[in-house]
Amino acid sequence: MQLQFWGVRGYVPTPGAEYLRYGGNTCCVLICGAGGELIALDSGTGFCQLGDTLMQREFRQGQGELTLLITHTYWDHILGLPFPGIVHTPGNRLHIYGPDNTRGSLEMTYDGMLSPVYSPVYGLAHIGATHSFQPLSTEPFRIGGITVSALPLSRRKHSPIWAFRLEEDGRAVVYITDVRYIDDQIWNKAVGFARGARILVHSAPYTRDEHVEDYGHSRVEDAIELAVEAEVARLFLYHHAPTRTDDELDALVARYRAVLASTGRTLQLDAAREGLLLDV
Amino acid sequence: MIARIWGTRGSYPVARADVLRYGGNTTCVEVRVGERCIVLDAGTGMRPLGAALGAEEHSPTQIDLLMTHTHWDHIIGFPFFAPIYAPQCRLEIFGLGRTQSSLRATIANALTDPLLPVSLEDLRAELHFHEIHEGLCFELGPVRVSTARANHPYRALAYRLETDEATLVFIPDTGPFHTVLFGDERIEWSGVPTASSHDELRELAEMRERIVELAQGADWLLYDSQFTDEQYVRFPHWGHSTATQAREIAEEAGVRELLLFHHDPHRSDAELDQIVAQQRAVARPGLQVSGAHEGMLLRKGAV
Repeated sequence: MQLQFWGVRGYVPTPGAEYLRYGGNTCCVLICGAGGELIALDSGTGFCQLGDTLMQREFRQGQGELTLLITHTYWDHILGLPFPGIVHTPGNRLHIYGPDNTRGSLEMTYDGMLSPVYSPVYGLAHIGATHSFQPLSTEPFRIGGITVSALPLSRRKHSPIWAFRLEEDGRAVVYITDVRYIDDQIWNKAVGFARGARILVHSAPYTRDEHVEDYGHSRVEDAIELAVEAEVARLFLYHHAPTRTDDELDALVARYRAVLASTGRTLQLDAAREGLLLDV
Repeated sequence: MIARIWGTRGSYPVARADVLRYGGNTTCVEVRVGERCIVLDAGTGMRPLGAALGAEEHSPTQIDLLMTHTHWDHIIGFPFFAPIYAPQCRLEIFGLGRTQSSLRATIANALTDPLLPVSLEDLRAELHFHEIHEGLCFELGPVRVSTARANHPYRALAYRLETDEATLVFIPDTGPFHTVLFGDERIEWSGVPTASSHDELRELAEMRERIVELAQGADWLLYDSQFTDEQYVRFPHWGHSTATQAREIAEEAGVRELLLFHHDPHRSDAELDQIVAQQRAVARPGLQVSGAHEGMLLRKGAV
């Protein structure tokens, strides 16, 4: 199983020289299984860049197949979907898993996003690729040789926010974003879910000492404590704040690596960086 | 008049190394005349604009936002525009009135759960929505604003901002006026152009006339030039123009400077340099052509 970051920014894309090394496109991570399975985690604007790359492969001929796992339907996790050519090429198959919400199904949310007032696509019916929507449940399912588990860790007023664990040959990647650890129960669930993962990708836009308004996000320290407690091998801080420049991210990682070293922890800590490709 | 360009990109924002000079943020332009602060469209360029306004010694407390339309690339910066969270700030938001959904509801629905957690009612700034139409003239302090219809899916507005000293015309999204006529209905595109009816061709010709009239004698015309000729042939149903089509409008309207705008997300800086050079080489004497880039400052007359 391989993992590649295509979009690591949270909230809103941040083009510009000072964001170039870590990247300014919003949330999208690609998992490639040993059997060629392609799974995208979230579809922020990083998905547009991923789509262009996939378009150089079998997707150009309408012979591609891609699964999307959507944690929740906030802009920075879905708005990239309608743009790449792969989505408009008949024959390609998209399997989209994500949450229903109390106002409507996942499919209705996407259809609304593509309504003519917001998009020249004029609704889901005009997406050229074959597409299906599947509401998430806690029942694990398989995509080729990869087992996917999903867990609703957090929720906003109308919509749950899910976390994903993908396992192949006993090696796991865990993806947690936009979560708030408001009580021990959620914390313990998250620790159990991330237990023993090779890689944990966790949103961490702000530190505890940055007194920003709470946007419903855990802090950098939460992500690190979770990774340590769950005995994760490698943690990638993710969903970087739009104000966080490359230099600031370098400094942030250095600061927390030093903390980990001083306490004798073996956790490998990095900030997620667009383009980075890893063997799990 | 001072205009600052904060976002030039069309369709979606792109953060890539090969677009650093022209910029990857989507459509947003700031126009200042005296105390007046006018913002054209709310693409991702609006986030850095908000930060810059906040850093001014006397940050403007009233901002006029003129929206051409509400496709994602033109509203995606709105919730990240810091002034909407400032209690002393007042935003006057202008956009196309529609029978299907009010301007306020369109913005409110985009910002709220399950798409985002923001509620217009909770914003600290005071927001006023004004539904407007093509062919309208109104004044924002010393700035005379007029509108025309642009040829874009689900319709869009084009704006002219004029003072006694300078004129800026803003047409970020429009197709050309010789084939596809856009209205509220989706255009079926089979890959082969179908002949437009006599009525459609007449309506297109009239729309073009209004656009040329709107741009007449402008100091700056920011105009949709998203497509290459090859792209236009393949995707006429997306409602964008080519650089050549933009130049032809500018020449007919006697514009002083054409700024190619709403760059395709795939277009690299080097490709844009080339497109600008091609248009300069054939432009009518007296017409300057440049590519709009992030950070660009346009200035004429008193400020």
